Amino acid sequence: MARVFPKSLLGQSLLAIAVTLLIGQAVSGLLLYRAAQDRRDAATVNAAAFHLLRMVNRETDSPRDIRRALRRAEPEGRIDIGRGRGERRRGLPPRLSGMIADASPLLPGERCAAGEEAQLREILARQGVAAETLVVTIRPVAQDTLLASLADEFPRFRARWRDGLSEREVMVAALRMPGESRWIVARALRPPVEAGVLWLIAAQTVLLFLVLLAATYLVLRRITRPLARLTERVESFARTHEAREPLPERGPEDVSRLIAAHNLLESRIAALLNEKDVMLGAIGHDLKTPLAALRVRIESVTDETQRTRMAETIEDLRRSLDDILSLARIGRAKDPPEATQLAALVESVVEEFEDMDRPVAIAHTDRIVAPVQVTWLRRALRNLIENALRYGGTAQVSLTREGSAAVIAVEDEGPGIPPEDMAAMLEPFRRGEASRNRGTGGAGLGLTLTRAILAEHGGELRLANRTQGGLRAEMRLPLS
Amino acid sequence: MTMAAHAADTAVTILLVDDERTLREPLVDYLVGQGFVVLEADSAASARSILREKKADLALVDIMMPGEDGLSLTRHLIETQNLPTILLTAMGEATDRIVGLEIGADDYVTKPFEPRELVARIRSVLRRAGRTAAGDEGEDAHYLFEGWRLDPLKQRLTDPDGAVIPISTAEFRMLRAFLDHPRAVLDRDRLLDMVQGREAHLFDRAVDNQVSRLRRKIEDDSKQPHFIQTVRGGGYRFAADVTRVPG
Repeated sequence: MARVFPKSLLGQSLLAIAVTLLIGQAVSGLLLYRAAQDRRDAATVNAAAFHLLRMVNRETDSPRDIRRALRRAEPEGRIDIGRGRGERRRGLPPRLSGMIADASPLLPGERCAAGEEAQLREILARQGVAAETLVVTIRPVAQDTLLASLADEFPRFRARWRDGLSEREVMVAALRMPGESRWIVARALRPPVEAGVLWLIAAQTVLLFLVLLAATYLVLRRITRPLARLTERVESFARTHEAREPLPERGPEDVSRLIAAHNLLESRIAALLNEKDVMLGAIGHDLKTPLAALRVRIESVTDETQRTRMAETIEDLRRSLDDILSLARIGRAKDPPEATQLAALVESVVEEFEDMDRPVAIAHTDRIVAPVQVTWLRRALRNLIENALRYGGTAQVSLTREGSAAVIAVEDEGPGIPPEDMAAMLEPFRRGEASRNRGTGGAGLGLTLTRAILAEHGGELRLANRTQGGLRAEMRLPLS
Repeated sequence: MTMAAHAADTAVTILLVDDERTLREPLVDYLVGQGFVVLEADSAASARSILREKKADLALVDIMMPGEDGLSLTRHLIETQNLPTILLTAMGEATDRIVGLEIGADDYVTKPFEPRELVARIRSVLRRAGRTAAGDEGEDAHYLFEGWRLDPLKQRLTDPDGAVIPISTAEFRMLRAFLDHPRAVLDRDRLLDMVQGREAHLFDRAVDNQVSRLRRKIEDDSKQPHFIQTVRGGGYRFAADVTRVPG
């Protein structure tokens, strides 16, 4: 189904044109066909009227003549059944066209064709013939008992029958004059359908479609080609954030203006990103150097408690600065992801905390290899463990495989997060408590950074309160 | 003994290259307080001119400086004088560290640093410089053992499938000690001595603890170790052949 309906601008336009054209041609074809049909019907009615009048006029010569004529017209044995080729167009021989019959030729169950009867009655009336009873019907030749029995009986007629007569339709009209008991029966073959008209319409449709298709294709290609190039460019820019040579402004004005606008936008964004990098580099340098100087200077403070506190403050500043710089830098990491043993990664991070005598435990680790940026992922996990320790006191880390995802979970036994605050927790500078008190550490960028790192890996961060209390933070990484 | 060590330190001359006077001043004071002789330069150019007249044992070079940057100066110092160099930087990215180490810097310190740690690293670099001066067998050569590979420059360990096994610096040093002495029995004191670096405090914990961590990462079954085997009453032994290939 998806393949049947085209998705591209070019495909959809061509489909729309094709459908419209088809409907238009179908309507005009139908009208032409109807007109041809009407002509055919009128011709048939006229032929039937002609034969009826011929017989009526003969009959009215004299009663004797009529009887003779009627007897002569008895079909048995003496009927000229005509001959020759071109069966599709020929009519019936005169004796079959008009004859006298004892009964109505209407077959049992056959209905009278009302429209044709009215036409016929009108024609007869105009010629001064008032019919007492007039029946008209159109039937396939094959169902006409008289013609069928003649075909059985006479070899020559059989030949006509086989040549195509049996596939045609015949109008049978029967007239009973006032005071008469016998019927004058006229038979007129309907002219065959003019198939040529239909062929003409079909050929016309195809030709029109081909011409339109070619024209539309040429016009649309002028639009879709630069559009496709633009799409490609936007996609690659979204991925790399790197400005390249501006795209040539091609295509109709609408499209070329769009391209020009994109070129402008791209160069602006790239300039902004570059400025940001330069600025962050400057911030890093300009703030870290005096911070380093400060760190060296406090070594001369003799009061050890004071010195330790100063060192801690400087360390906090450094970490906040690092978080801010990292958050700004992420997505522009230069090192490609490497296939990494996640269990070893989790262990190595947990061991860092063990070395600092922090209560971090490993619950379970599956052996899973996934392409990751090791430095970043370590950092993401470190942030989660630090959060767990800060708010929950302890941290339990596990690594499991869930379907096509590797799940690194950090669980604590703290108060968890109120459900209504859950979404807000991922915003920058958000902390689990109202104060931004240094005693609890960090600038509140930890979760934001972790989430950004996971997004960079195509994964996600999930937070949930555990039923037994405490928070469970999950880093979900897709495994290809 | 302490006198001798102090005397040895006083002989050490450090060339400090940083354009920021705010950092240079306190750092010079601190290093002098630690017994070093310090030469100050505020740019790569002035560092070059100082070295034309005086001799230094080690250079501390800030990477980001106006004019010629620290990396270029470091390359020059190593090529022309084989001067042990520690880079100072405000950036903290691993790639920067690797670039610095690849051009031959001996170590890398991120600002702001703990002054004591800086001194520990200075001493460690000087110690290594003294040791490797005789027979430098290519510090950067990779170690190979049974499909595993250790890149000493990037401290990067990969398993036979090529997957990275993240290890800490302490684990890296211990593994490297084992790989430098395959099939030899290393007792705990010797191991401690070989892996003791700036994270000396880590080794307040038993060597055994580090060994068991390392085993968890490289052994299929750390209960039945294949590589790092315990030698009864002796210590540990790395029980596989090790080859070295250029990185």
